[in-house]
Amino acid sequence: MLQEESDISLIIAQIVQKLKGSNLYAQLERQAWASLQRPEIKLESLKEDIKEFFKISGLFPLPSHPAAPPEHLKEPLVYMRKAQGSWEKRILKSLNSMCTELSIPLARKRPVGEQKELLNKWNEMGTDEPDLSLFRPVYAPKDFLEVLINLRNPNYENGDSLSFRTHLGLIQVPLKVKDIPELKECFVELGLNTGQLGIDDSTQVPPELFENEHVRIGQKVLAEQDSAAAQQYIRQGSPTALRAELWALILNISSQPEDILYYEQLKTNVIQHDLLVDSLIYKDVKLTASNDDYYFVFEDYLYQVLLCFSRDTSVLNHFAYNSASPPKSYIRGKLGLEEYAVFYPPNGKILSINFFLSVAPLCFLYHEPSKLYQIFREMYVRFFFRLHSISSHPSGIVSLCLLFETLLQTYLPQLFYHLREIGAQPLRISFKWMVRAFSGYLATDQLLLLWDRILGYNSLEILAVLAAAVFAFRAVNLMEVTSLAAAEAVLADLSTLKVMPLLQIFLFATVT
Amino acid sequence: MSRVSVPCHVKGTVALQVGDVRTSHGRPGVLVIDVTFPSVAPFELQEITFKNYYTAFLSIRVRQHTSMHTPAKWVTCLRDYCLMPDPHSEEGAQEYVSLFKHQSPSMTFPKWLSHPGPCEQPVPLLEGLPDPSRVSSEVQQMWALTEMIRASHTSARIGRFDVDGCYDLNLLSYT
Repeated sequence: MLQEESDISLIIAQIVQKLKGSNLYAQLERQAWASLQRPEIKLESLKEDIKEFFKISGLFPLPSHPAAPPEHLKEPLVYMRKAQGSWEKRILKSLNSMCTELSIPLARKRPVGEQKELLNKWNEMGTDEPDLSLFRPVYAPKDFLEVLINLRNPNYENGDSLSFRTHLGLIQVPLKVKDIPELKECFVELGLNTGQLGIDDSTQVPPELFENEHVRIGQKVLAEQDSAAAQQYIRQGSPTALRAELWALILNISSQPEDILYYEQLKTNVIQHDLLVDSLIYKDVKLTASNDDYYFVFEDYLYQVLLCFSRDTSVLNHFAYNSASPPKSYIRGKLGLEEYAVFYPPNGKILSINFFLSVAPLCFLYHEPSKLYQIFREMYVRFFFRLHSISSHPSGIVSLCLLFETLLQTYLPQLFYHLREIGAQPLRISFKWMVRAFSGYLATDQLLLLWDRILGYNSLEILAVLAAAVFAFRAVNLMEVTSLAAAEAVLADLSTLKVMPLLQIFLFATVT
Repeated sequence: MSRVSVPCHVKGTVALQVGDVRTSHGRPGVLVIDVTFPSVAPFELQEITFKNYYTAFLSIRVRQHTSMHTPAKWVTCLRDYCLMPDPHSEEGAQEYVSLFKHQSPSMTFPKWLSHPGPCEQPVPLLEGLPDPSRVSSEVQQMWALTEMIRASHTSARIGRFDVDGCYDLNLLSYT
């Protein structure tokens, strides 16, 4: 076989292995057998036809270049990889110094008595009141923002003189971001002539005009278990009654007995080993979630999901395409011996403050712990990890920040300039919204409508567009403020916002 | 058909600039890289692979010796092949690139083409329908590879993070 052909065969074999055991695999196999019976399939050209289809359809990304090393797949730009490495080192140092100061090990096996106790109160960990005053979060979003602001491409020169090309925002790396015409093409289903949930299901609009038909189509999509159709459908929003099933269909989550067993195994791991990061999770949830109007009822779920998440080694797989790398440690007394090297925490992810905000909205949809867990994990390895790593990916946090700033500077230049002049760089306000995917800021029903679109478009760019749309909406008030604190106050409360009208107006109804 | 890499000598870049290099201030946008092949045995070049570093467009010229009697001449194989769709942004800036040879039966020496795109037409079959037993054996080969992967020991779904039940850790490692 020619080199190229054997590469493709190997990739096909790898894809087959990854799909193996999933519901999707069984469906594909059935479909393939059924298709082979059809007269229009020509067996002699089948292999070439499939390869041609892969190239034309753009459904599958072209296989990466054979000479590209693994780190290139994580992140192609060397200076971004280096920045991510330095950021990770800072986090490791912070955690290590906390260990040393508090004289607490990173991990230890729980004594049997403690294990029994934890098992008994597994469903009500919120009732515990341990002393967590000495623990502090490893890092906060604003530390991360400072790192992003200081990112520089060593091969890029801005020039000294200001021109219309000068970027006035905080992000100074030249990543490609979309402008409004490109966004309109990309988010075409959000246009003025297409029905939307979040707009066309409001009480003044008769349901016969859009809502009833949309619900009927949704039920059909679910009946046929068509994942691709579900993804297309959800671009117009999901009816509340169908959302849990639709998201599960799109994320390819079906609760098989082995998934429930897997979750139980993770729970056992939590019971057996105590991790330092558990206390950080505990403190974070206790301080913030338990006081949140929307999320306090889910406090116990949040502990369960996040503690299990930290033990889940299957999450390590996503580091193949995440620019981040999992922290390493050695079993006590075996420093430097590779056979005693382990990852810490087992899933390789040290959580930032308020990380639980990515879990909490899901608690409205899923009440069975193992299903809630699976959905959250899939959302993380598909989308949310990009909000916490430095990369050049279009859905990565750096691109989102740059997209937000560019939209504002291009389409609201007066507002942007004014805010900059008063020392209120817009990104300093909107960063916390985007890095949390707006969780904790929007009303729950609005947040779920927004996350519908994240799933539908398989991209986080909508977060940056919404952030710009919010600034556009409050532009009149913002033009009158004279300090950063006043600007923050204007944008402090987003709980009354309706996201779909904001997005639609910003993209499709603003004169550009 | 096995492929081997050809030893080559890549010379340093030379800037193409009009005027005196020392006195003019502009930075040249065109650089030339000379590649020579020290081995004297003739070979058929199939693929050129390189890693880009902020080059937007690439042209390749080849000096070919066709026979003993005609002097060697320079042939442009590739002109302004785009490596970076938007030269002012990072797209394609540090990508790995391969350029393949495209066989055209009507030409006497091979022509270069850029990385094949989806609009390329497949080479038309000249001999009629393919031999069914050859096709069948190719499909079987692919299937056998898939079965091999399937039968091989699958990575444990429930991964262990400890070493022999022990997960006592003191500090994180920086390496």
